[in-house]
Amino acid sequence: MAQTSSQATINDTGDVDSPPKIPRFKDETWWYGPAAMLVFLLGWELGVSFSGIPELFLPRPSVVLRTLAEQFASKGLLYDMVLTLTRIFGGFLLASVVGIGIGILMGTSRRIYAIADIFVATLYPVPKISLIPLLVIWLGSGELFLVVLCALGCVFPVLVNTIYGVRQVDEGLVLAARDLGATPMQIQRKIVLPAAVPSIFAGLRIALGIGIIMVVAAEMQTARYGLGAKLFAAGQILETGEVFAILLLLAAIGLTLTKIQQRLDNIVSRWRTR
Amino acid sequence: MSAALAGENFAAVSIEHLTHRWASRTGRGTTALSDISFEFPAGKVTAIVGPSGCGKSTLLLILRGLMKASDGDVQFLYGPERRPGPPPRMSTVWQAFNLLPWRTVLDNVAFGLELAGVGRAEREEKAAAAIRSVELAGFENHYPAQLSGGMRQRVGLARGLVMSPEILFLDEPFGALDAQTKLYLQEQMSAVVESSGKTIILVTHSIEEAIFLGDQVLVMTARPGRVAATIPVDLPRPRSFEMQSSPRSGELFNEIYGLLRDEVRKAMMS
Repeated sequence: MAQTSSQATINDTGDVDSPPKIPRFKDETWWYGPAAMLVFLLGWELGVSFSGIPELFLPRPSVVLRTLAEQFASKGLLYDMVLTLTRIFGGFLLASVVGIGIGILMGTSRRIYAIADIFVATLYPVPKISLIPLLVIWLGSGELFLVVLCALGCVFPVLVNTIYGVRQVDEGLVLAARDLGATPMQIQRKIVLPAAVPSIFAGLRIALGIGIIMVVAAEMQTARYGLGAKLFAAGQILETGEVFAILLLLAAIGLTLTKIQQRLDNIVSRWRTR
Repeated sequence: MSAALAGENFAAVSIEHLTHRWASRTGRGTTALSDISFEFPAGKVTAIVGPSGCGKSTLLLILRGLMKASDGDVQFLYGPERRPGPPPRMSTVWQAFNLLPWRTVLDNVAFGLELAGVGRAEREEKAAAAIRSVELAGFENHYPAQLSGGMRQRVGLARGLVMSPEILFLDEPFGALDAQTKLYLQEQMSAVVESSGKTIILVTHSIEEAIFLGDQVLVMTARPGRVAATIPVDLPRPRSFEMQSSPRSGELFNEIYGLLRDEVRKAMMS
């Protein structure tokens, strides 16, 4: 699209006011997915009603929805959700700051990279869940523990992607900046960091997904409040409807966060070739 | 004409016994440039041609101060008495454009002023004027990815010119463009060159381009690069593209190609 329009305007340049708006791709298949989901839920609802599968084993979608509403209304689920989200974002933000910071240092300094790489390479493959016992010994099983565990899970994708992003900066851009008088500090801030942004964002996206897993899993193990704790407790007393309700909520949270991230991605990288 | 007069205000660049060696793993290294002595006169366009790999782009980086030569100095000479002085304002236009893809045309052109701490209003005003001078008015808010190659290189030129350089370096500025766009931009560039009176150092692999834009052509040998000859271009200014097919252009082409042919063969054999 952009190609054709720029070809057309190459020889007469004066009368263009704003960048060409890229027309949104009209996809007539957008309703296929939601429709398929609706059919699936309807099948589930009717299947359970007519087959006589006990609700204890597989509750109907309508029951799950009602349970979810009840949980919010009278069982304080909102408190658990806010608590879980706070833990996730606490760890995620901590990991973002640390991961991007160390990543830039490792990506730009060969010395720092040589020192730090062996630690990264050793810690990266360790399943972070397996650190729960050690972290509980060190930090107890409170908020600090959950935030640190989440951060440990999030930090490596951010770190590795930042290093990669910083390293693949086009040398020509650095040369051009030096030609225009940029100081080494200006090169870091105005060339290296912006050039690494798409890669850093890819790391953040992976990290947030891991953060959700870490916090919910740890809550199931150690916490009294939070979605993971609620989920585990419901399972223990065979409240299958409640289990499904919380799973549904977790799915909805995941979906929402992914969509928000996609929006942010598009805003930050609107300069890329489309 | 006026270019010669204006030239007195601009700097000449002089190099003496300049040598550059690339370090290599074996420790012997390759000699890219060998014992080059030359003076790029003030207010004139010097085109550097040579077979690929002869070190002409390396020479440009050294002259511009973006790379340090293994041996030898770059000096800047001022005034009729050619007194050595500090480096003047310089900027470069690159073959690969090297525009920042996340910045709009306006912000790309204003980048150098921004780095120098010029306030937003002033730098945007200057950048807008530079954008007009390369006939890109109306494209200030486009991103480089939305422009054609020729337009991107005009942004590159505006970005260099906005710094009001006393010496302008052109590193194969049309190398990445298609033939028609190249012709069109060469004409535009020659207009810029003739009106500015700046000292211009152009690296190119095109003999036609060197003749069309240059006041003199520095012909380099195959690696290690040395000065093979300096050919003055005695075509009148202002230049038009019809001149490229004039008999005098043809003679100059033959003379330069005659010098280059053996060097190109050497470069291919090594």
